Amino acid sequence: MNEGAAMERQKGLARRDFLKAAGLGAAGAVAVGAALRSGLVGSASAASTTALSLVATDGYMSLPGREGDPVYIFGFVRVDPTLTVDQLEAAYKGHTKHTAPHLNFRQDDDIKITLTNLGLVQRPDLTDSHTIHWHGFDVPSPLNDGVPEVSVAVPIGKQVTYFYRPHREGTYMYHCHFEDVEHVQMGMTGIVFVRPLQDMGTASLAKARQEGGADTAPLGYAYNDGNGSTAYDRHFAILLNEVWKHFHDGDRDIQESIATDYNPQWFTLNGRCYPQTLLPNDSPSLPEPMRIGTPNANYGNATDYSQPNSALIQVNPGDRVLLRLANLGYQQHSMQLPGISMKVIGQDASWLGKDGVDKTYLTNTLYVGPGEARDVLFTAPAYDASRPSGSDTMGAYNVYRFKNRDWRRLSNFGAPPGPGGMQTEVRVYSSALPAQSDVSQTYV
Amino acid sequence: MSEQATARRGKKSTMTHKMWRLGTVLALTAGSLIAVAGHGSALPLGAPKVGMVCTPGTVNGTAHTFNLETKTGYIETPDGNSVFMWSYDNPGVDNGHFQSPGPVLCATEGQTIEVNLTNHLAEPTSVVFPGQQDVTWTGGTAGLLTTEAAANGGTVTYRFTATNAGTYLYESGSDVAKQVEMGLYGALVIRPSLGANFAYGASTTQFDPSREYLALLADIDPFLHHAVEIGATYDFNSRDNRYFTINGRSFPDTIQDNGSGLLPNQPYGALVRIQPNSPSNPQPGLIRMVNAGVDNHPFHPHGNHTTQIAQDGRLMTAPGGAPAFTEHFGETIGAGQTEDFLLRWDDQDHWDPGTNPLPVPPPNYRDVTFKDSNTWYSGSPYLGYKGTLPAGTTTQNICGEWYFPWHSHALNEFTNFDEGFGGMGTLLRVDPPGGCFTAAASTAILSGVLKSGSASALAVDDTNYYQVNPRTTTRPTATTAGQTTITVASTAGFPTTPGYYIRIDNEVLQVTAGQGTTTWTVARGQLGTAAASHLSGATITGLANDWYGSFSGVRAGSTNLKVTYKGKNCQATSGTTCPTFTGAAAPQQTVKICNWTALGAANCATAASPGWVTLPTPGGGLGPAQPQTVGSTDVSSTWTLPGSASQYIGTGAYNGQVRVLIHTQRWTGPSPTPFSTWGNLLALVYDAP
Repeated sequence: MNEGAAMERQKGLARRDFLKAAGLGAAGAVAVGAALRSGLVGSASAASTTALSLVATDGYMSLPGREGDPVYIFGFVRVDPTLTVDQLEAAYKGHTKHTAPHLNFRQDDDIKITLTNLGLVQRPDLTDSHTIHWHGFDVPSPLNDGVPEVSVAVPIGKQVTYFYRPHREGTYMYHCHFEDVEHVQMGMTGIVFVRPLQDMGTASLAKARQEGGADTAPLGYAYNDGNGSTAYDRHFAILLNEVWKHFHDGDRDIQESIATDYNPQWFTLNGRCYPQTLLPNDSPSLPEPMRIGTPNANYGNATDYSQPNSALIQVNPGDRVLLRLANLGYQQHSMQLPGISMKVIGQDASWLGKDGVDKTYLTNTLYVGPGEARDVLFTAPAYDASRPSGSDTMGAYNVYRFKNRDWRRLSNFGAPPGPGGMQTEVRVYSSALPAQSDVSQTYV
Repeated sequence: MSEQATARRGKKSTMTHKMWRLGTVLALTAGSLIAVAGHGSALPLGAPKVGMVCTPGTVNGTAHTFNLETKTGYIETPDGNSVFMWSYDNPGVDNGHFQSPGPVLCATEGQTIEVNLTNHLAEPTSVVFPGQQDVTWTGGTAGLLTTEAAANGGTVTYRFTATNAGTYLYESGSDVAKQVEMGLYGALVIRPSLGANFAYGASTTQFDPSREYLALLADIDPFLHHAVEIGATYDFNSRDNRYFTINGRSFPDTIQDNGSGLLPNQPYGALVRIQPNSPSNPQPGLIRMVNAGVDNHPFHPHGNHTTQIAQDGRLMTAPGGAPAFTEHFGETIGAGQTEDFLLRWDDQDHWDPGTNPLPVPPPNYRDVTFKDSNTWYSGSPYLGYKGTLPAGTTTQNICGEWYFPWHSHALNEFTNFDEGFGGMGTLLRVDPPGGCFTAAASTAILSGVLKSGSASALAVDDTNYYQVNPRTTTRPTATTAGQTTITVASTAGFPTTPGYYIRIDNEVLQVTAGQGTTTWTVARGQLGTAAASHLSGATITGLANDWYGSFSGVRAGSTNLKVTYKGKNCQATSGTTCPTFTGAAAPQQTVKICNWTALGAANCATAASPGWVTLPTPGGGLGPAQPQTVGSTDVSSTWTLPGSASQYIGTGAYNGQVRVLIHTQRWTGPSPTPFSTWGNLLALVYDAP
């Protein structure tokens, strides 16, 4: 796979570039996988055109409790746009990933996403098409909404380019809408967010670091708040999901499933169950124990690293941290972060401070329904050695758990008793981490 | 789960969703009224086809009385199932036709609401009104939550003052785990005293009353219903929902009209229709959402955010009174809650195929599929435009409108048992601004001859004109001042009914007989001109130009036609410039529309045929009086024909055709010079069914 190829980002660029990706942090080896996850960021002040390519195909992933029995999935993979359909099939067919890449766009830019349907290796009889539905987007035409029954779908071996010009900043999600009951559960899901024009700076607000602003500036702003109240130093995209084995095993074995029997066994963040959620963003440079490798039965059990997105939240004390949450499961989830107060500043790509009325709120519990998004800010507390702690390659840290309140979703079906499921850690480090340059960046 | 349930479990399921019912069902959507004679629905008279249907009740001073009775019946699901239900119905409408859900009760703030309940069930029942205060009762017997009506004919009357405007639920207060599951629920809407076009007593809640929608959500376990149906043990703890409804129907039944004859026991549709926000369409639509189910439901509108303004009948307000509305593309409504949303469709980028095309052109059809060869897509991404679709693709699209699904995002609820794209879903239909639009597809000249141009010149207001000259012929011999019979070289292009005017030199004559032949009987010296003699070979010019534009594809059931004609007349019959009229008055223009029903299909065949009705139509049209004087500057006029347009839409061989005649005649003499009629735009806007 040549994902590393055209993905080099130069920080602080003034000129307009067409294709960019997250770069490498100053210290430590930021997983190159991070580069591949993020979308493309234009650097110039005028609206620019951003293009990226995704393929849709099948593959396998690993969940605790299913050792030796990979879980069959569908998903999206980001690919080099210069490859032909034949080249894409040769490189990616049957090697999908879950969850799909975090897509990072700028408000008012023109976005072109080319989707290529590579077909399913495990199910050559299943001739499903695929689409991209940018969930929550105020679409100017059904053609780009991705609902097959009211527009078009992409059949096997074909590609279609979707167009968006996002005018609303905030956090959204995207997924396939072809037979969505099945395809969404099978794993064709991801987070997409739109950064506000305010990231370019205003008379009174510093330009965001991710647009080339000063090192003292916030990494970005969640919304065009006009007063910097949604500024953040680090942001993390976390997609909530469930896994129901009947769809996955059934699709693998050509067995029918009754969707209204839905009753999931596993609960994931970014496609991983705890403790997988703590592993860094995948990268070929990582040692094997820090990667999630899954044997692919359709390729002689060669290893696929098909769960690239970490859910680990690594921060410095005092950091303003933005959680971009979205739920593409079919159940409501109640998420908590005991010990740290959470401020909900946005929901469904809508700033709660709009129109001069402050509807933002502090809470201990986030109740996120299917198809909903939340923007949550918290300030990382000071490091306190007497609090629960751990240490890793980046040093000592205080640990806080971002977890589902429902204890039945904190275990891994089939695994020995112990913590699992829909939880991850917020690690507040005693010695400073490098500044974040890309969403959900992890440090090893 | 009961034994019956196990037996049912073996039902065949499928990965691909079935559209088998869709084609049949949707093909009938086009008709304005499903023709089911007599007994067909439980709707009050005058109920709209789309949108919330209010049960009016009886108003007496400040008292507003509704009668409800409980009954049993069956509802249908799109996968071919039927489910036994209990419900309330309105005994005063259609002999108390069974309906699910119960009638929508609409009243006004401040009224004293009285609900008379008659119970035909074999067990006691009642009604509770969550959110209403100080409910009192007459009759009945005490129950756990409220006073009940006894089984098999018992009655009770409830009374309360509708103190607060808003959207509310009413439901059974007896043995609720069974009775509410079985379907004893309905919506109660209290309108503010501020007006029926406000949701609450605040100006920020103003909405377009023709865009008011109810979405009453419910979930159904058919095995529990079957247990009640056969008198088996009812174990609510075994509840396992298989059907998910909006207004008592599952998708795609939700998009059928209110009162659809296909769903006689489920009178309420859930299609939402909106047009883009504009200065002429400034008010939003209102969505009143009620969750009568047992589960929370995360509702996801595609296409645009909705603005939540209220919850449980209370406006969302910040301290100090400013509105605290929030916007959503996903909102979980809890069991028993109500939420109100305003819906606007804003066209931000004004994409247009001519002036502002999408940066990515529509895909080549070789690269896409249309699912099940059946689509709501028009073939064009632009609002109001239809494109081509591959041969063999059935389209449900009427005139380039857009469709977006609205559905539960617990996608296991977006199913009919095991078939996807069903259940708790409906469609948002975005209509082109002002309605469907069509330009004249073809033209025909009834009196005259083509000077230049074609029907396509009439499609857009621009510098292309459809130009018609008067018909001319010649006199083969000289004419005396007194003769009343003349021969002409050719009658082609002249009207085939008598009474039309011709001009020779400066004299206007009227042909009273012999039309269609080359020997005409004429009356001399008409319209203020003087009879005179004319040389052999003199040119005879028809005094009027008559041509019609024909529109096609206008569906039966379309309403609110608006005819727009923009054109001018030029004092020349050749050349490309348009000389101004000098001397005598400019021509008089009369625009007429063909009424097909007057005398059959041939009744608009000539300019003088009786089927042509002058606009505005007598007794109820709108638009400028006619005839109008139209000179060499474009004059644009629009006539509106409100309501049904059935007499103007052709049937049979003329199916879907609308014809508009442009009759232009130079009135007075002397020396009325020949002129050509230049048509710029001939367009029709209408509301498709």
